[in-house]
Amino acid sequence: MYRYLPWLVLAVGVTLIATVFEPMFATRAVKSGPQGFAGQAAPVFALQDDRGSTVSLDAYRHRIVVMNLWASWCPPCREEMPDLQRLAERYGARGVAVVGVNEGESVERARAFAASLRIRFPIWIDSAERYGRVYGALGLPTTVILNGEGVVIRGFDGPLTFDQMEAAASAALHGS
Amino acid sequence: MTLCTVAALATIVLVGAQIVLPGKALYHYGWYNVAIAGMAVIVVVAARAPLRSARTRALRAGIAAIVFGSAIAAVAGIASGLFGPENQQVIGSPAQRVSVEGLGTLVFPLGVATAGDDAGVQLLRPLHAPLEISTRSGNLGNFVARSIVRTVVEIDAQDAFGNRLTITQPSGRSFLSPVLLMEHRQTIAGFALPFDSFNLPAAHRIVKAVLFSAAEAAMLQRGTEAPAVLFAVDDENDRPLSHGIGLAASGRRIRLGGLQLRAVVGAFPAVELVSAPNLVAAIAGALLVVCSTTFIALQRRRARYG
Repeated sequence: MYRYLPWLVLAVGVTLIATVFEPMFATRAVKSGPQGFAGQAAPVFALQDDRGSTVSLDAYRHRIVVMNLWASWCPPCREEMPDLQRLAERYGARGVAVVGVNEGESVERARAFAASLRIRFPIWIDSAERYGRVYGALGLPTTVILNGEGVVIRGFDGPLTFDQMEAAASAALHGS
Repeated sequence: MTLCTVAALATIVLVGAQIVLPGKALYHYGWYNVAIAGMAVIVVVAARAPLRSARTRALRAGIAAIVFGSAIAAVAGIASGLFGPENQQVIGSPAQRVSVEGLGTLVFPLGVATAGDDAGVQLLRPLHAPLEISTRSGNLGNFVARSIVRTVVEIDAQDAFGNRLTITQPSGRSFLSPVLLMEHRQTIAGFALPFDSFNLPAAHRIVKAVLFSAAEAAMLQRGTEAPAVLFAVDDENDRPLSHGIGLAASGRRIRLGGLQLRAVVGAFPAVELVSAPNLVAAIAGALLVVCSTTFIALQRRRARYG
Protein backbone atom coordinates (compact mmCIF):
# COMPACT_ATOMS: atom_id res chain seq x y z
CA MET A 1 0.00 0.00 0.00
CA TYR A 2 2.83 2.41 0.95
CA ARG A 3 4.26 1.90 -2.51
CA TYR A 4 1.43 3.94 -3.98
CA LEU A 5 1.30 6.56 -1.23
CA PRO A 6 3.87 8.98 -2.76
CA TRP A 7 1.90 8.91 -6.02
CA LEU A 8 -1.30 9.57 -4.12
CA VAL A 9 0.34 12.49 -2.33
CA LEU A 10 1.65 13.77 -5.67
CA ALA A 11 -1.83 13.56 -7.23
CA VAL A 12 -3.35 15.42 -4.28
CA GLY A 13 -0.60 18.04 -4.51
CA VAL A 14 -1.11 18.63 -8.23
CA THR A 15 -4.88 18.89 -7.69
CA LEU A 16 -4.44 21.42 -4.92
CA ILE A 17 -1.96 23.51 -6.89
CA ALA A 18 -4.44 23.50 -9.77
CA THR A 19 -7.10 24.63 -7.29
CA VAL A 20 -4.91 27.58 -6.29
CA PHE A 21 -4.33 28.77 -9.84
CA GLU A 22 -7.63 27.76 -11.48
CA PRO A 23 -9.62 30.93 -10.58
CA MET A 24 -6.91 33.11 -12.13
CA PHE A 25 -7.70 31.57 -15.52
CA ALA A 26 -11.40 30.84 -15.06
CA THR A 27 -12.58 34.43 -14.73
CA ARG A 28 -13.97 35.90 -17.91
CA ALA A 29 -14.20 39.64 -18.39
CA VAL A 30 -17.77 40.92 -18.58
CA LYS A 31 -18.56 42.75 -21.81
CA SER A 32 -19.73 46.25 -21.07
CA GLY A 33 -22.98 47.59 -22.43
CA PRO A 34 -26.00 45.71 -23.73
CA GLN A 35 -23.88 43.18 -25.69
CA GLY A 36 -22.76 41.71 -22.36
CA PHE A 37 -26.32 40.52 -21.71
CA ALA A 38 -26.52 38.18 -24.71
CA GLY A 39 -27.58 34.69 -23.68
CA GLN A 40 -29.12 35.78 -20.38
CA ALA A 41 -32.76 35.98 -19.37
CA ALA A 42 -34.06 39.51 -19.81
CA PRO A 43 -35.08 41.17 -16.55
CA VAL A 44 -38.81 41.83 -16.31
CA PHE A 45 -40.14 44.94 -14.61
CA ALA A 46 -43.74 46.01 -14.38
CA LEU A 47 -43.91 49.45 -16.00
CA GLN A 48 -46.64 51.85 -17.12
CA ASP A 49 -47.24 52.57 -20.76
CA ASP A 50 -47.98 56.04 -22.12
CA ARG A 51 -51.72 55.47 -21.49
CA GLY A 52 -51.21 54.54 -17.84
CA SER A 53 -51.72 50.78 -18.18
CA THR A 54 -49.41 48.34 -16.42
CA VAL A 55 -47.25 46.48 -18.90
CA SER A 56 -44.55 43.83 -18.72
CA LEU A 57 -42.36 41.74 -20.99
CA ASP A 58 -44.17 38.66 -19.68
CA ALA A 59 -47.00 39.44 -22.11
CA TYR A 60 -44.57 39.06 -25.03
CA ARG A 61 -43.50 35.47 -24.51
CA HIS A 62 -43.33 33.47 -27.77
CA ARG A 63 -42.61 36.64 -29.76
CA ILE A 64 -39.35 38.23 -30.81
CA VAL A 65 -39.09 41.55 -28.98
CA VAL A 66 -37.09 44.51 -30.24
CA MET A 67 -36.76 46.66 -27.13
CA ASN A 68 -35.54 50.16 -27.81
CA LEU A 69 -34.46 52.44 -24.95
CA TRP A 70 -34.86 56.10 -25.85
CA ALA A 71 -35.42 59.62 -24.58
CA SER A 72 -36.96 62.68 -26.24
CA TRP A 73 -33.81 64.80 -25.83
CA CYS A 74 -31.68 62.33 -27.77
CA PRO A 75 -31.38 63.29 -31.50
CA PRO A 76 -30.30 59.80 -32.71
CA CYS A 77 -33.37 58.35 -30.95
CA ARG A 78 -35.59 60.72 -32.94
CA GLU A 79 -33.88 59.70 -36.20
CA GLU A 80 -34.24 55.99 -35.42
CA MET A 81 -37.90 56.01 -34.39
CA PRO A 82 -39.51 56.06 -37.89
CA ASP A 83 -37.40 53.03 -38.86
CA LEU A 84 -38.56 51.18 -35.76
CA GLN A 85 -42.16 51.98 -36.74
CA ARG A 86 -41.44 50.58 -40.23
CA LEU A 87 -39.97 47.45 -38.68
CA ALA A 88 -43.03 47.04 -36.44
CA GLU A 89 -45.33 47.31 -39.48
CA ARG A 90 -43.34 44.99 -41.71
CA TYR A 91 -42.56 42.28 -39.16
CA GLY A 92 -45.48 42.57 -36.69
CA ALA A 93 -47.50 39.87 -38.44
CA ARG A 94 -44.46 37.57 -38.45
CA GLY A 95 -44.13 37.62 -34.68
CA VAL A 96 -41.81 40.55 -34.05
CA ALA A 97 -42.93 43.11 -31.47
CA VAL A 98 -41.26 46.51 -31.17
CA VAL A 99 -41.39 48.18 -27.76
CA GLY A 100 -40.05 51.67 -27.06
CA VAL A 101 -38.97 52.23 -23.47
CA ASN A 102 -38.63 55.85 -22.48
CA GLU A 103 -35.84 56.34 -19.97
CA GLY A 104 -36.53 58.71 -17.11
CA GLU A 105 -39.05 61.12 -18.56
CA SER A 106 -42.65 61.96 -17.81
CA VAL A 107 -45.59 60.26 -19.53
CA GLU A 108 -46.68 63.52 -21.16
CA ARG A 109 -43.32 64.16 -22.74
CA ALA A 110 -43.04 60.58 -24.04
CA ARG A 111 -46.58 60.65 -25.43
CA ALA A 112 -46.02 64.00 -27.17
CA PHE A 113 -42.76 62.76 -28.68
CA ALA A 114 -44.37 59.55 -29.98
CA ALA A 115 -47.34 61.47 -31.38
CA SER A 116 -45.07 63.94 -33.19
CA LEU A 117 -43.41 61.03 -35.03
CA ARG A 118 -46.66 59.05 -35.49
CA ILE A 119 -45.33 56.13 -33.52
CA ARG A 120 -47.92 53.40 -33.00
CA PHE A 121 -45.85 50.67 -31.36
CA PRO A 122 -46.14 50.44 -27.54
CA ILE A 123 -44.33 53.13 -25.57
CA TRP A 124 -43.42 52.23 -22.00
CA ILE A 125 -42.29 54.63 -19.30
CA ASP A 126 -39.24 53.55 -17.27
CA SER A 127 -39.14 56.52 -14.93
CA ALA A 128 -36.49 55.00 -12.62
CA GLU A 129 -34.25 54.13 -15.61
CA ARG A 130 -34.20 50.50 -14.49
CA TYR A 131 -33.78 48.95 -17.94
CA GLY A 132 -31.01 51.44 -18.69
CA ARG A 133 -29.20 50.41 -15.52
CA VAL A 134 -29.67 46.67 -15.95
CA TYR A 135 -28.54 46.61 -19.58
CA GLY A 136 -25.61 48.86 -18.75
CA ALA A 137 -26.63 51.31 -21.46
CA LEU A 138 -23.59 53.25 -22.59
CA GLY A 139 -25.81 55.91 -24.15
CA LEU A 140 -29.11 56.30 -25.94
CA PRO A 141 -30.56 54.79 -28.00
CA THR A 142 -29.87 51.24 -26.85
CA THR A 143 -31.60 48.29 -28.49
CA VAL A 144 -31.96 44.79 -27.12
CA ILE A 145 -33.46 41.84 -29.01
CA LEU A 146 -35.15 39.06 -27.05
CA ASN A 147 -36.23 35.66 -28.29
CA GLY A 148 -39.58 33.99 -27.57
CA GLU A 149 -38.29 32.63 -24.26
CA GLY A 150 -37.38 36.07 -23.02
CA VAL A 151 -33.64 35.55 -23.48
CA VAL A 152 -31.48 38.38 -24.80
CA ILE A 153 -30.12 37.47 -28.22
CA ARG A 154 -28.29 40.66 -29.08
CA GLY A 155 -27.70 44.12 -27.73
CA PHE A 156 -26.85 47.24 -29.68
CA ASP A 157 -25.32 50.44 -28.41
CA GLY A 158 -26.26 53.47 -30.51
CA PRO A 159 -28.68 54.01 -33.39
CA LEU A 160 -29.42 51.31 -35.96
CA THR A 161 -30.22 51.68 -39.63
CA PHE A 162 -33.35 49.99 -40.98
CA ASP A 163 -31.18 47.37 -42.70
CA GLN A 164 -29.47 46.53 -39.42
CA MET A 165 -32.83 46.26 -37.65
CA GLU A 166 -34.22 44.05 -40.39
CA ALA A 167 -31.16 41.80 -40.39
CA ALA A 168 -31.32 41.40 -36.61
CA ALA A 169 -35.06 40.71 -36.64
CA SER A 170 -34.74 38.17 -39.48
CA ALA A 171 -31.88 36.41 -37.70
CA ALA A 172 -33.93 36.28 -34.50
CA LEU A 173 -36.93 34.85 -36.37
CA HIS A 174 -34.77 32.16 -37.95
CA GLY A 175 -33.10 31.40 -34.64
CA SER A 176 -29.56 32.24 -35.70
CA MET B 1 11.80 17.70 16.05
CA THR B 2 13.96 17.67 12.96
CA LEU B 3 14.89 20.71 10.88
CA CYS B 4 12.54 19.44 8.18
CA THR B 5 9.56 19.40 10.58
CA VAL B 6 10.40 22.79 12.05
CA ALA B 7 10.68 24.40 8.61
CA ALA B 8 7.45 22.73 7.47
CA LEU B 9 5.59 24.04 10.53
CA ALA B 10 7.10 27.50 9.99
CA THR B 11 5.80 27.43 6.39
CA ILE B 12 2.33 26.56 7.66
CA VAL B 13 2.47 29.36 10.25
CA LEU B 14 3.53 31.96 7.64
CA VAL B 15 0.76 30.91 5.26
CA GLY B 16 -1.78 30.48 8.06
CA ALA B 17 -1.12 34.06 9.18
CA GLN B 18 -2.32 35.24 5.74
CA ILE B 19 -5.64 33.49 6.35
CA VAL B 20 -6.13 34.23 10.05
CA LEU B 21 -5.07 37.89 9.81
CA PRO B 22 -5.92 38.79 6.22
CA GLY B 23 -5.28 42.09 4.52
CA LYS B 24 -1.85 43.03 5.93
CA ALA B 25 0.38 44.83 3.45
CA LEU B 26 3.44 42.81 4.47
CA TYR B 27 2.05 39.67 2.79
CA HIS B 28 2.67 41.36 -0.56
CA TYR B 29 6.27 42.29 0.35
CA GLY B 30 8.96 40.35 -1.45
CA TRP B 31 10.80 39.31 1.71
CA TYR B 32 7.70 37.69 3.20
CA ASN B 33 7.25 35.53 0.13
CA VAL B 34 10.98 34.80 -0.02
CA ALA B 35 10.70 33.62 3.61
CA ILE B 36 7.88 31.22 2.69
CA ALA B 37 9.80 29.93 -0.33
CA GLY B 38 12.97 29.67 1.79
CA MET B 39 11.19 27.57 4.40
CA ALA B 40 9.80 25.28 1.70
CA VAL B 41 13.30 24.87 0.22
CA ILE B 42 14.71 24.06 3.68
CA VAL B 43 11.99 21.39 4.05
CA VAL B 44 13.00 19.78 0.76
CA VAL B 45 16.75 19.91 1.48
CA ALA B 46 16.40 18.79 5.11
CA ALA B 47 14.11 15.92 4.12
CA ARG B 48 16.66 14.26 1.84
CA ALA B 49 18.75 12.64 4.61
CA PRO B 50 15.78 11.30 6.66
CA LEU B 51 14.22 9.98 3.43
CA ARG B 52 17.38 8.01 2.67
CA SER B 53 17.80 6.71 6.21
CA ALA B 54 14.13 5.85 6.83
CA ARG B 55 13.82 2.14 7.52
CA THR B 56 10.22 1.62 6.55
CA ARG B 57 8.09 2.67 3.61
CA ALA B 58 5.62 4.20 6.05
CA LEU B 59 8.26 6.58 7.41
CA ARG B 60 9.37 7.50 3.91
CA ALA B 61 5.79 8.20 2.86
CA GLY B 62 5.30 10.33 5.98
CA ILE B 63 8.39 12.43 5.23
CA ALA B 64 7.30 12.80 1.60
CA ALA B 65 3.89 13.95 2.80
CA ILE B 66 5.53 16.64 4.96
CA VAL B 67 7.47 17.88 1.93
CA PHE B 68 4.36 17.93 -0.25
CA GLY B 69 2.22 19.50 2.43
CA SER B 70 4.60 22.37 2.99
CA ALA B 71 5.11 22.78 -0.79
CA ILE B 72 1.35 23.03 -1.39
CA ALA B 73 0.90 25.53 1.43
CA ALA B 74 3.89 27.54 0.18
CA VAL B 75 2.51 27.68 -3.36
CA ALA B 76 -0.86 28.86 -2.02
CA GLY B 77 0.81 31.50 0.16
CA ILE B 78 3.14 32.80 -2.53
CA ALA B 79 0.39 32.79 -5.19
CA SER B 80 -1.66 35.01 -2.92
CA GLY B 81 1.22 37.20 -1.74
CA LEU B 82 2.97 37.78 -5.06
CA PHE B 83 0.26 37.31 -7.68
CA GLY B 84 -2.84 38.19 -5.65
CA PRO B 85 -4.10 41.77 -6.02
CA GLU B 86 -3.67 44.42 -3.34
CA ASN B 87 -6.60 45.00 -0.99
CA GLN B 88 -9.37 46.64 -2.96
CA GLN B 89 -12.82 48.10 -2.57
CA VAL B 90 -15.05 47.24 -5.50
CA ILE B 91 -17.66 49.93 -6.05
CA GLY B 92 -20.45 49.42 -8.53
CA SER B 93 -23.54 51.32 -9.53
CA PRO B 94 -27.02 49.77 -9.23
CA ALA B 95 -27.39 46.69 -11.45
CA GLN B 96 -23.76 46.97 -12.61
CA ARG B 97 -21.78 43.80 -13.26
CA VAL B 98 -18.11 44.06 -12.35
CA SER B 99 -15.60 41.39 -13.30
CA VAL B 100 -12.85 40.74 -10.74
CA GLU B 101 -9.88 38.75 -11.99
CA GLY B 102 -9.40 35.53 -10.07
CA LEU B 103 -12.77 35.82 -8.35
CA GLY B 104 -15.72 36.10 -10.74
CA THR B 105 -18.40 38.64 -11.57
CA LEU B 106 -19.95 40.83 -8.89
CA VAL B 107 -23.55 41.82 -9.61
CA PHE B 108 -24.72 44.86 -7.70
CA PRO B 109 -28.37 45.19 -6.64
CA LEU B 110 -30.78 47.25 -8.71
CA GLY B 111 -31.92 49.68 -6.08
CA VAL B 112 -30.73 51.71 -3.13
CA ALA B 113 -31.47 50.17 0.26
CA THR B 114 -34.08 51.70 2.48
CA ALA B 115 -34.26 50.99 6.24
CA GLY B 116 -34.27 47.26 6.92
CA ASP B 117 -33.94 46.33 3.25
CA ASP B 118 -30.32 45.65 2.41
CA ALA B 119 -30.06 43.88 -0.91
CA GLY B 120 -26.59 42.42 -1.27
CA VAL B 121 -24.00 41.96 -3.96
CA GLN B 122 -24.07 38.61 -5.71
CA LEU B 123 -20.99 36.75 -6.85
CA LEU B 124 -21.24 34.70 -10.04
CA ARG B 125 -18.50 32.15 -10.70
CA PRO B 126 -18.20 29.41 -13.29
CA LEU B 127 -19.27 26.03 -11.85
CA HIS B 128 -20.55 27.62 -8.63
CA ALA B 129 -24.03 28.59 -7.46
CA PRO B 130 -24.57 32.37 -7.13
CA LEU B 131 -23.42 33.57 -3.75
CA GLU B 132 -24.45 36.68 -1.86
CA ILE B 133 -21.50 38.48 -0.26
CA SER B 134 -22.34 39.03 3.40
CA THR B 135 -21.17 41.71 5.79
CA ARG B 136 -19.09 39.10 7.61
CA SER B 137 -15.75 38.27 6.06
CA GLY B 138 -15.95 35.07 4.06
CA ASN B 139 -13.25 33.08 2.32
CA LEU B 140 -13.90 32.71 -1.40
CA GLY B 141 -11.06 30.54 -2.63
CA ASN B 142 -8.28 33.04 -3.25
CA PHE B 143 -10.01 36.01 -1.60
CA VAL B 144 -11.53 37.06 1.66
CA ALA B 145 -14.55 39.21 0.87
CA ARG B 146 -17.09 41.19 2.81
CA SER B 147 -19.85 43.56 1.93
CA ILE B 148 -19.70 47.09 3.28
CA VAL B 149 -22.27 49.86 3.11
CA ARG B 150 -21.59 53.17 1.39
CA THR B 151 -23.71 56.28 1.47
CA VAL B 152 -25.19 57.19 -1.91
CA VAL B 153 -27.71 59.75 -3.11
CA GLU B 154 -30.73 58.98 -5.28
CA ILE B 155 -31.89 61.93 -7.37
CA ASP B 156 -35.29 62.86 -8.71
CA ALA B 157 -35.20 65.76 -11.17
CA GLN B 158 -38.07 67.65 -12.77
CA ASP B 159 -38.31 70.77 -14.85
CA ALA B 160 -40.13 73.88 -13.63
CA PHE B 161 -43.46 72.39 -14.82
CA GLY B 162 -43.03 69.13 -12.97
CA ASN B 163 -41.98 67.01 -15.96
CA ARG B 164 -39.58 64.30 -14.92
CA LEU B 165 -36.12 64.52 -16.52
CA THR B 166 -33.71 61.78 -17.54
CA ILE B 167 -30.63 61.72 -15.33
CA THR B 168 -27.39 60.73 -17.00
CA GLN B 169 -23.89 60.32 -15.60
CA PRO B 170 -21.47 60.51 -18.56
CA SER B 171 -18.45 60.22 -16.27
CA GLY B 172 -20.07 57.81 -13.80
CA ARG B 173 -19.95 54.04 -13.63
CA SER B 174 -23.42 53.83 -15.23
CA PHE B 175 -24.54 56.21 -17.94
CA LEU B 176 -28.22 55.90 -17.08
CA SER B 177 -28.72 55.96 -13.34
CA PRO B 178 -30.34 58.35 -10.89
CA VAL B 179 -28.08 57.03 -8.13
CA LEU B 180 -24.95 59.07 -7.38
CA LEU B 181 -22.20 56.95 -5.84
CA MET B 182 -20.46 59.97 -4.29
CA GLU B 183 -16.99 58.54 -4.94
CA HIS B 184 -15.16 61.87 -5.19
CA ARG B 185 -14.26 64.38 -2.49
CA GLN B 186 -14.69 68.13 -2.48
CA THR B 187 -13.13 70.24 0.24
CA ILE B 188 -15.48 72.87 1.62
CA ALA B 189 -14.53 74.88 4.72
CA GLY B 190 -11.87 72.32 5.62
CA PHE B 191 -14.20 69.34 5.31
CA ALA B 192 -13.53 66.75 2.61
CA LEU B 193 -17.10 65.99 1.57
CA PRO B 194 -18.48 63.29 -0.76
CA PHE B 195 -19.13 64.79 -4.17
CA ASP B 196 -20.65 63.73 -7.49
CA SER B 197 -22.36 65.25 -10.51
CA PHE B 198 -25.02 64.41 -13.08
CA ASN B 199 -26.43 65.77 -16.31
CA LEU B 200 -30.00 66.65 -17.27
CA PRO B 201 -29.69 66.65 -21.08
CA ALA B 202 -33.32 67.62 -21.70
CA ALA B 203 -32.85 70.79 -19.59
CA HIS B 204 -29.25 71.40 -20.76
CA ARG B 205 -28.06 71.44 -17.17
CA ILE B 206 -25.14 69.93 -15.26
CA VAL B 207 -25.72 69.55 -11.52
CA LYS B 208 -23.04 69.07 -8.89
CA ALA B 209 -24.01 67.48 -5.60
CA VAL B 210 -22.08 67.61 -2.32
CA LEU B 211 -23.22 65.39 0.55
CA PHE B 212 -23.33 66.68 4.13
CA SER B 213 -23.89 64.40 7.10
CA ALA B 214 -26.67 65.38 9.51
CA ALA B 215 -24.16 67.02 11.88
CA GLU B 216 -22.46 68.97 9.09
CA ALA B 217 -25.81 70.04 7.64
CA ALA B 218 -26.94 71.29 11.04
CA MET B 219 -23.87 73.57 11.16
CA LEU B 220 -24.83 75.04 7.79
CA GLN B 221 -28.55 75.35 8.29
CA ARG B 222 -30.12 75.55 11.72
CA GLY B 223 -32.90 73.08 12.31
CA THR B 224 -31.62 70.52 9.79
CA GLU B 225 -31.55 67.10 11.43
CA ALA B 226 -31.11 64.90 8.38
CA PRO B 227 -28.25 64.49 5.93
CA ALA B 228 -28.44 67.08 3.20
CA VAL B 229 -27.20 67.66 -0.32
CA LEU B 230 -25.82 70.92 -1.62
CA PHE B 231 -26.79 71.31 -5.27
CA ALA B 232 -25.00 73.62 -7.70
CA VAL B 233 -26.75 73.94 -11.07
CA ASP B 234 -24.61 74.90 -14.09
CA ASP B 235 -25.54 75.29 -17.73
CA GLU B 236 -24.33 72.71 -20.25
CA ASN B 237 -21.04 74.58 -20.64
CA ASP B 238 -20.34 74.29 -16.91
CA ARG B 239 -21.13 77.96 -16.24
CA PRO B 240 -22.85 78.50 -12.88
CA LEU B 241 -26.40 79.82 -12.99
CA SER B 242 -27.67 82.60 -10.77
CA HIS B 243 -29.83 81.24 -7.94
CA GLY B 244 -28.42 77.85 -8.83
CA ILE B 245 -27.00 76.83 -5.45
CA GLY B 246 -29.04 75.44 -2.58
CA LEU B 247 -29.03 72.94 0.27
CA ALA B 248 -31.80 70.34 0.43
CA ALA B 249 -32.36 67.96 3.32
CA SER B 250 -32.71 64.32 2.31
CA GLY B 251 -36.19 63.73 0.89
CA ARG B 252 -37.01 67.45 0.48
CA ARG B 253 -37.61 69.00 -2.94
CA ILE B 254 -35.79 72.23 -3.83
CA ARG B 255 -36.24 74.66 -6.76
CA LEU B 256 -32.95 75.78 -8.33
CA GLY B 257 -31.98 77.16 -11.74
CA GLY B 258 -35.33 76.30 -13.31
CA LEU B 259 -35.30 72.77 -11.90
CA GLN B 260 -36.98 70.89 -9.08
CA LEU B 261 -34.49 68.57 -7.41
CA ARG B 262 -34.95 66.02 -4.67
CA ALA B 263 -32.17 63.95 -3.12
CA VAL B 264 -32.70 60.90 -0.95
CA VAL B 265 -29.64 59.79 0.99
CA GLY B 266 -29.47 56.01 1.16
CA ALA B 267 -27.16 53.06 1.51
CA PHE B 268 -25.67 50.91 -1.21
CA PRO B 269 -23.26 47.99 -0.87
CA ALA B 270 -19.67 47.81 -2.02
CA VAL B 271 -17.31 44.86 -1.63
CA GLU B 272 -13.98 44.80 0.18
CA LEU B 273 -11.62 42.21 -1.22
CA VAL B 274 -8.42 40.96 0.34
CA SER B 275 -6.38 38.30 -1.39
CA ALA B 276 -5.73 35.23 0.76
CA PRO B 277 -4.13 31.84 0.18
CA ASN B 278 -6.50 29.28 -1.29
CA LEU B 279 -8.25 27.85 1.76
CA VAL B 280 -8.58 24.28 0.45
CA ALA B 281 -4.91 24.11 -0.54
CA ALA B 282 -3.68 25.72 2.69
CA ILE B 283 -5.77 23.44 4.92
CA ALA B 284 -4.80 20.35 2.95
CA GLY B 285 -1.13 21.33 3.14
CA ALA B 286 -1.36 21.98 6.88
CA LEU B 287 -3.17 18.69 7.48
CA LEU B 288 -0.54 16.76 5.52
CA VAL B 289 2.25 18.34 7.55
CA VAL B 290 0.60 17.97 10.97
CA CYS B 291 -0.74 14.45 10.42
CA SER B 292 2.52 13.20 8.94
CA THR B 293 4.58 14.78 11.73
CA THR B 294 2.36 13.09 14.32
CA PHE B 295 2.50 9.80 12.44
CA ILE B 296 6.30 9.89 12.21
CA ALA B 297 6.62 10.77 15.90
CA LEU B 298 4.40 7.83 16.83
CA GLN B 299 6.34 5.47 14.55
CA ARG B 300 9.67 6.53 16.07
CA ARG B 301 8.31 6.25 19.57
CA ARG B 302 7.03 2.77 18.84
CA ALA B 303 10.41 1.78 17.35
CA ARG B 304 12.28 3.22 20.35
CA TYR B 305 10.14 1.60 23.07
CA GLY B 306 9.37 -1.57 21.18
